[in-house]
Amino acid sequence: MKPINTLLLAGLVSVFSACNVLDQLPQAEVAESIAVTNKKGANAALAGLYNQLQDGNYYGRNFQLISDVASDISQSVGTWDFYREMDTYVTAPANRENAALWTRGYRAINIANTLIANVPNLADLTTAEKNALLGQAYFLRGLVYFDLTRVYAGVPDVVGTLGIPIVLTPSKTVDETLYPSRPTLKASYDQVESDLIKSLELLPEAYASDITTRAQAVKGTAKALLSRLYLYLKQPAKVLQYANEVIADPKYVLQTSYESIFSGKFTAESIFELNFGSTDQSGMRNWYFPSSLGGRGDIAIHESFYQELIANPKDVRGKMVARDNTVNVYYSTKYQKAGNIDNAHIIRIAEIYLNRAEARAQSGDLPGALADLNKIRNRAGVESLTVTGVQPTLEAIWQERKLELAFEGHRFFDLVRTNQALTKLVQVSRKNGPPVTLSNVGRQIFPIPLADIDSNKKLVQNDGYK
Amino acid sequence: MAAVYIMRQTSLLIFLLCLSTMSLFGQTRTLTGNVTNSEDGTDLPGVNVVLKGTSTGVTTDASGAFKLAVPNQGGTLLFSSIGFQAQEVVIGNLSKVTIKLLPDTKQLSEVIITGYGTQAQKTLTGSIASVSGKSIENIPAPSSDQLLQGRAAGVQVSANSGTPGGGMQVRVRGTTSINGSSDPLYVVDGIPIQSNNLSGIGLGGSTTNPIADINPADIASMEILKDASATAIYGARAANGVVLITTKRGANKKAKISFGTYQGTQQLWRRPAVVDGPTFETLINEANVNNGQRPTYANPAGTTNSNWSERIFQDGALRNYDLSIAGGSEKVQYLVSANNFFQEAVVKGSDFKRTSGRVNLDFTPIDKVKVGTSVLFARSTRNLIRSDDNISGALSGAFFLPPNLPFYQADGSYTKFGTFENPIAAVENNNIKMNTNRFLANVYAQYDILPGLNLRSTFSLDYSNIQEDLYDNTFLNNGASRNGFGQSLNSRDNNWIQENVLTYQRSFGDHSINALVGTSMQESTFERTTATGEQFPSNDFTRIISAAVQRGTSEGTSWGISSLFGRIVYDYKSRYLATVNVRRDGSSRFGRDNRWGTFPSVAVGWLLSEESFMKDMSFLNVLKIRGSYGLTGNQSGITNFQSIGLWGGNLDDLGAPSGSSAYVDLPGTAPIQLANQDLKWETTTQTNVGLDLGIIKNRVKITADYYVKNTTDLLLAVPVPRTSGFNTLVQNYGAVQNKGFELGINADILKGDDRKIGWNVNFNIATNTNKLTKLAAPFTVYNRDIYRYEEGYSMYSFYLHEQTGVNPETGAPIWTDVNGDGKFDANVDRKIVGNANPKFFGGITNTLNFKGFDLMFFFQYSSGNKQLHWNRFFGEHGGTRNTNFMTSQLDRWQKSGDQTMIPKMSAENYAGNLRPSRFLEDGSYMRLKNISLGYTLPKPLLDKIHLSNLRIYVSGQNVLTFTKYTGLDPEMTGTASTNLTQGIEFFTMPQPKVYMAGLNVSF
Repeated sequence: MKPINTLLLAGLVSVFSACNVLDQLPQAEVAESIAVTNKKGANAALAGLYNQLQDGNYYGRNFQLISDVASDISQSVGTWDFYREMDTYVTAPANRENAALWTRGYRAINIANTLIANVPNLADLTTAEKNALLGQAYFLRGLVYFDLTRVYAGVPDVVGTLGIPIVLTPSKTVDETLYPSRPTLKASYDQVESDLIKSLELLPEAYASDITTRAQAVKGTAKALLSRLYLYLKQPAKVLQYANEVIADPKYVLQTSYESIFSGKFTAESIFELNFGSTDQSGMRNWYFPSSLGGRGDIAIHESFYQELIANPKDVRGKMVARDNTVNVYYSTKYQKAGNIDNAHIIRIAEIYLNRAEARAQSGDLPGALADLNKIRNRAGVESLTVTGVQPTLEAIWQERKLELAFEGHRFFDLVRTNQALTKLVQVSRKNGPPVTLSNVGRQIFPIPLADIDSNKKLVQNDGYK
Repeated sequence: MAAVYIMRQTSLLIFLLCLSTMSLFGQTRTLTGNVTNSEDGTDLPGVNVVLKGTSTGVTTDASGAFKLAVPNQGGTLLFSSIGFQAQEVVIGNLSKVTIKLLPDTKQLSEVIITGYGTQAQKTLTGSIASVSGKSIENIPAPSSDQLLQGRAAGVQVSANSGTPGGGMQVRVRGTTSINGSSDPLYVVDGIPIQSNNLSGIGLGGSTTNPIADINPADIASMEILKDASATAIYGARAANGVVLITTKRGANKKAKISFGTYQGTQQLWRRPAVVDGPTFETLINEANVNNGQRPTYANPAGTTNSNWSERIFQDGALRNYDLSIAGGSEKVQYLVSANNFFQEAVVKGSDFKRTSGRVNLDFTPIDKVKVGTSVLFARSTRNLIRSDDNISGALSGAFFLPPNLPFYQADGSYTKFGTFENPIAAVENNNIKMNTNRFLANVYAQYDILPGLNLRSTFSLDYSNIQEDLYDNTFLNNGASRNGFGQSLNSRDNNWIQENVLTYQRSFGDHSINALVGTSMQESTFERTTATGEQFPSNDFTRIISAAVQRGTSEGTSWGISSLFGRIVYDYKSRYLATVNVRRDGSSRFGRDNRWGTFPSVAVGWLLSEESFMKDMSFLNVLKIRGSYGLTGNQSGITNFQSIGLWGGNLDDLGAPSGSSAYVDLPGTAPIQLANQDLKWETTTQTNVGLDLGIIKNRVKITADYYVKNTTDLLLAVPVPRTSGFNTLVQNYGAVQNKGFELGINADILKGDDRKIGWNVNFNIATNTNKLTKLAAPFTVYNRDIYRYEEGYSMYSFYLHEQTGVNPETGAPIWTDVNGDGKFDANVDRKIVGNANPKFFGGITNTLNFKGFDLMFFFQYSSGNKQLHWNRFFGEHGGTRNTNFMTSQLDRWQKSGDQTMIPKMSAENYAGNLRPSRFLEDGSYMRLKNISLGYTLPKPLLDKIHLSNLRIYVSGQNVLTFTKYTGLDPEMTGTASTNLTQGIEFFTMPQPKVYMAGLNVSF
């Protein structure tokens, strides 16, 4: 009987040794309750927040491409017909790219909210470290609310009356706070303003490394974005105030070579430049470049805009285009680094000069406006312009913004902000179809994504998409 | 912990019980013997041998042998076995007895393998379909689940694509879960095995199939457990049915060596229907004119004409070799086998190779103790290509690239176009390999405590090590932008299972009882290490060590399950039958308070044909009615830590994991999951009623079943407003109902033997109706939201713009105005226009034999299912894209009065936001899945050449297909990487037509 007893003993041992199979712990993740409870956790969450902005759904390509195709800069020539919908003003509420931007924006807001809720209570942080963390969280939340408001809600006195849902607490589990309704458009802009003002109080002037100072938010970044915000809110005095402060800041210098801003990284031109690398790749080159160069070539420059870019042979900005001879279209070479490591230029000093030029023109300082405008023109190799009258000056500034800031996510929102969308986006010719016109007033903004209309009964769809 | 405690107590009890029964045997002598079937002389295992009037007895082993302690003098032995007439033998002074049992023709004699046991089909109360190894042998298929197709009523099998060794979709009685898995549980020789796709390289919708590691030639039988009574013994993982795969074992016979081989070739059934160069340019010009633009091309007739698809397809080779030796002695029985299988795809660059070895061993080292093992080692090697729901592959390039472009540029480089790969570049430069090493083994020890009472303990290991290497050189788009791109992944999946089962079988007069209790514990861990390289010195360097930019990552996860189960099968006078099952399962995936679930089932049956009032009906051999009701659970398809709020890496826009959260070199985290502490088991309640009928000397057997499956507390990813920063939260919300009817008929129309003609027909048909009975809010899935999940509709419902025609005057499409506001608006006038579920499906097999010849033909069919021809959506673009046209575009409206479904080619009629229903086609088909003709040499001749068997055959697969569907293949899913989609063709590799010849020889 002995061998049998041994066998049974072996059986018993195997049964009892295995009782803990039900206690398993995650290896690649951590529980929400301990994620942001110390300095390391808070810094990691902040990096995670910048990473949201970098995503292909946002500044990794989507935000810039939406602005490009919805305006008179670029067209969708590929199979990814979500951009074709935007290009031809038939964007469906279910449009995937439209929903992706919204989703990504609110992911970022949720991380910012977590930092704003948790950082004040963390024991192992100095006040200066807390302020830097909180300042960045407020700045980034302000930036995201600004972008989402521009895309989905509108611009005061131009289009839209409802804002976008404002969420200010971290989401942990499903409860009523997860089902917000839409406030007024004004309330949305108020939130942007208060977040940016708050961040300005908290942020440092600079970080130890110059790259970090441009890759993350500092006081100058907040001021620069405020100068843009007040253009939307039509408060030229405040635009002037913040633009003056930024231009006076010695950190930010207009580069002599326009091309070097894009071929290099973190030049003195940059106020806020999202860093990309081989682990965090940008989609801009991929979506513009033809497949013979390893891109997908879905987006191409409108023939009409190409003609504007090359109209002046001295204009260096007209040199940063190339032709795809297989599909017979032009594409931008602003983003051309192998490995798709081109940075995203969110705010650079040239924009601040143009912001100030516009504010100066609106407040009657036409010579000052022209001085700023020509600074930008001259840098691009183009001769100075002389115009008279407020409106012609403004129009010259707007045209300059189009050339200077093309493919950087400005044009469509500038057109709407300046109330030119319905007059400029007329009979824009396309390669794969008849010319398109934006005639529906309500389609100067994008639809609230269908996923949220379906899941949150409190949300009201924009009029242009009902 | 309470349950663990109970389990400990139970196990202890079991073992104490064993210990106390060990010294019951006194002064005796030993009698040995052998039991065979009088009809065919085969050994009969499992025969009860009892010393009459005592409790002393044994059951025969796999070779029909037994050994029993008997008194020195006197005594009578009683031999009984289900399906055979009982027989008594006076022992006298015999020391060895040989008994031939006569089959009981009144009974259904087959013994069916059930979970943790076997049972005579006659007394079975559950619904179990059985597929014998015989019926699937010599059919070329990399994986055995594919062989279930069309052979068992209610089991719906579809290949995700024609990729060799690719994933299969198997649904037993419909799809029960939305986000959870609806795949059945696979149990091989008693071990629940790992059956998920473990490939880490995202190549498209195609998945790889771990069941392909098992050699079909090793399979003795496959049983599909369908109703709650049959499946509940597997409790928490049984809601989607259970597939039991039993491999062949040795017997107490002299060694038999068998060798089998087949060789074949495979061809494409249909080619991509795209237009040629001149037609392409003519159509583009027509669209330009319709749009008020200038024609693009000056001279369409004289343009280049490149037929891209002719460069990517091939006749695929197919080879298989099997070698086995089986036999044994009284103490030891063995089966050792080896297999080599190779299959090429019909698209160049893709193939599958399996080399495997098996050792199945049973031996009796000590009286009453049996020890054994089943060991499989398999190495599967795949060359993979980008295909199936992937627009960067050769197949998509063949559809998309304009035919007016040359294959190569003037400088000899590949012509590139848009986001697509040049198909020639794709097949010539493809370098993606996947090697799987699978070790699947169990060891068991069985102790016969008393006659009819035994304890069996099993320890099993299922280990897979998967190495994947990908290299995209600079001729490929993906490599061009990064100056070469390489990836190397190593994945390890490790499962161990320990089970103990105490079985008791006994008859008392008219009462017969078969009971078992058991414990089971399983732990599963998964780890993956990934290295990525970019910027290679040249295309000759393919290993990441040469890359200028190198990155690495690793990940890991684990889960565990712990169970207690029991079953009692009871019958009275072999007439009134009852089965009760209960299983209690605990899973690590749920919160501490919701870990444990209890899954009971009951079944009753009545064998009317045994009643005296039925005895006069001589034509009626068997008539049984049966019914069952029970609960089963599901915990698969959710992540291992679904109930906890988590932070970790990044998510993509749809909520799927997408890399790290780092901001370049700063390590980052982000929220990835909302907490739901209330998460618990998904439960399926199934009711089944069935009828078994055997008439005309059991030559015609009919089985019919009706079932209703209600799945509640669905593990559903309920959409939450994305303003929360999340897409979904997995909640127990929602319900799905599946109900259906199954009918199987097996008829020996002519009962033949060597001399006479034999003809057997096996037919099955099943219906299944799937309905979402409760859902929080409707939601849409897949690109362009083409599937919609909405309460009251079926799963896999297509959400499109319903196109009813084309205006013969204007050529504009006519759309259904869904909201009835008098105008069509693409944003709101979209509706569900059909679904991918068949109305009925099944198969019919005819087997004929005559004078050593055998002919088999097997048709498989599916009817009423819609298939979305998504290639057409892209290829019938009306000039709104630069890409090639499918030939269906030629039927466009051109002039007033044209009657067609294809609108006039203009940007408006083909606008980017339209999802026309004209691409939703009837996916019904009937396919001659298999036909084979063989010849077996006659016995006298075989004896002369010292062979025990020799058969040669020719065979074909997918030889004929009848369908209205216009795509490459009606029988495929295409997007198997998600459970939520079915019935879509999107650059999916079609299934090939196969012609082959083979040989089986044994000696």
